Amino acid sequence: MALCVTAFFVAAVSAQTTTGTVTMSATVSKYVEINSGGAVTLTGNSGGGVTTDGTLNNPLAVVINLGELGPANINSFVTANVPLKLRSNAAYVLSLAATVTSTAVTANRVIAADIGFGMGAVTRTGVGVNAAGTDTNNTSGDPTLAANGAVNAGTGRFEFVTPRSNLSAFSASTTALSGSFIMNAVPRSNANGLTVPAIFAVKPQFYENGSTTVVATFTVTAP
Amino acid sequence: MKKSTFCIPILFCVITLVSLGNAFAQALDISSGGAPTISGAKSGSVTGSSSVLNDLIVTINFGEISPSNTNSIVKVTVPIAIRSNQQYQVLATVIGATNANAQALQRTDIGFGVNNFRSMGANARVCINSSHIFYSPFSNDPASNVTINGAGRATYPSTLNNAVSATPILSGPRLSNGNNSRQTNDGYIFDAIFAITPQFFAVGVTSATITFTISAGPNAPC
Repeated sequence: MALCVTAFFVAAVSAQTTTGTVTMSATVSKYVEINSGGAVTLTGNSGGGVTTDGTLNNPLAVVINLGELGPANINSFVTANVPLKLRSNAAYVLSLAATVTSTAVTANRVIAADIGFGMGAVTRTGVGVNAAGTDTNNTSGDPTLAANGAVNAGTGRFEFVTPRSNLSAFSASTTALSGSFIMNAVPRSNANGLTVPAIFAVKPQFYENGSTTVVATFTVTAP
Repeated sequence: MKKSTFCIPILFCVITLVSLGNAFAQALDISSGGAPTISGAKSGSVTGSSSVLNDLIVTINFGEISPSNTNSIVKVTVPIAIRSNQQYQVLATVIGATNANAQALQRTDIGFGVNNFRSMGANARVCINSSHIFYSPFSNDPASNVTINGAGRATYPSTLNNAVSATPILSGPRLSNGNNSRQTNDGYIFDAIFAITPQFFAVGVTSATITFTISAGPNAPC
């Protein structure tokens, strides 16, 4: 009898079935990235140069020497065009925070308001890019445009006058550009994305002697 | 009197065992084929029994499949054991993994293939008159056959979308010797492989269930 009971138990443990199931799930979280959109273009400089250039699709870590910003530079503007590459699977916000420091000490030194800034034309092209997406430029565009700056009639100093057209508006992190999702469902290996130039410009003037350092940090988020 | 008393339980036992033999006469059976494995996942996992004596109940969490997962592919291999005392077929049926947003994960984004048909051991039936056949398009490792379509999206030779209704993936002749219940060596194992390439999918969580069913198959003499 004991044997019989044991046999029954074994048979019951190894019962058969004709179906089996595999249940699966996967998660997609918001993803954004910013990289270099390519080489920097520096124009109008005197004794300046690109110390560390941008490399397409590599982390953005550009170093630029704007050169001489005094009247010895007879160009109307020193302009640095820094291409950015953005990619996301969700709506994005590109923000900028900038600090400006100088060895000069008077009001005639180069200050944040003297450094024009704006985002240029946005390009959404290439396989896998959401070409139908839209973007909102929160700056006034190329700061060297005539509409964005003028000589102050009272002080004689050239000023960037339109909204968010100079770095004084970005002393704290401030939106520069925003838009809808950038990439369709394509792998990370797809190298396309949204490209946009970040444009910095300084009008050579009779600034106080000194050396000025600007650190501009771009951050992209998916709120 | 004593002899009679002793014989009654014995007779009962014999009858019971004969009944069990009929009840568990091996007809068609599907079970775990061993421990499932996962690779390339970020915060993913897979659970399932490592014993071929246990039912096939596997749960896959592919984890994060946005580009924040920098691996080229998330691959899950699920061994499946099958047994039969007759010709058989294995069907696959998928439910779920539907998203209205075309940029979200779709069934077509989940590669699904089968391969690596192998004997479980001494009591696996060897038939010489018919072969075990993986059905097209499923006979592949989707993780090793990823291509990019014109839109830039990753594609596979076969996906879950190929099994939205009960779809044959495998058939063949008898699988097992004897007529016993589930043993560790009395059938065959094949691998079901699932693969997802991390991509810029739209944000969300997607779930699906695939059911494997073994049933009497097309004519396949042993």
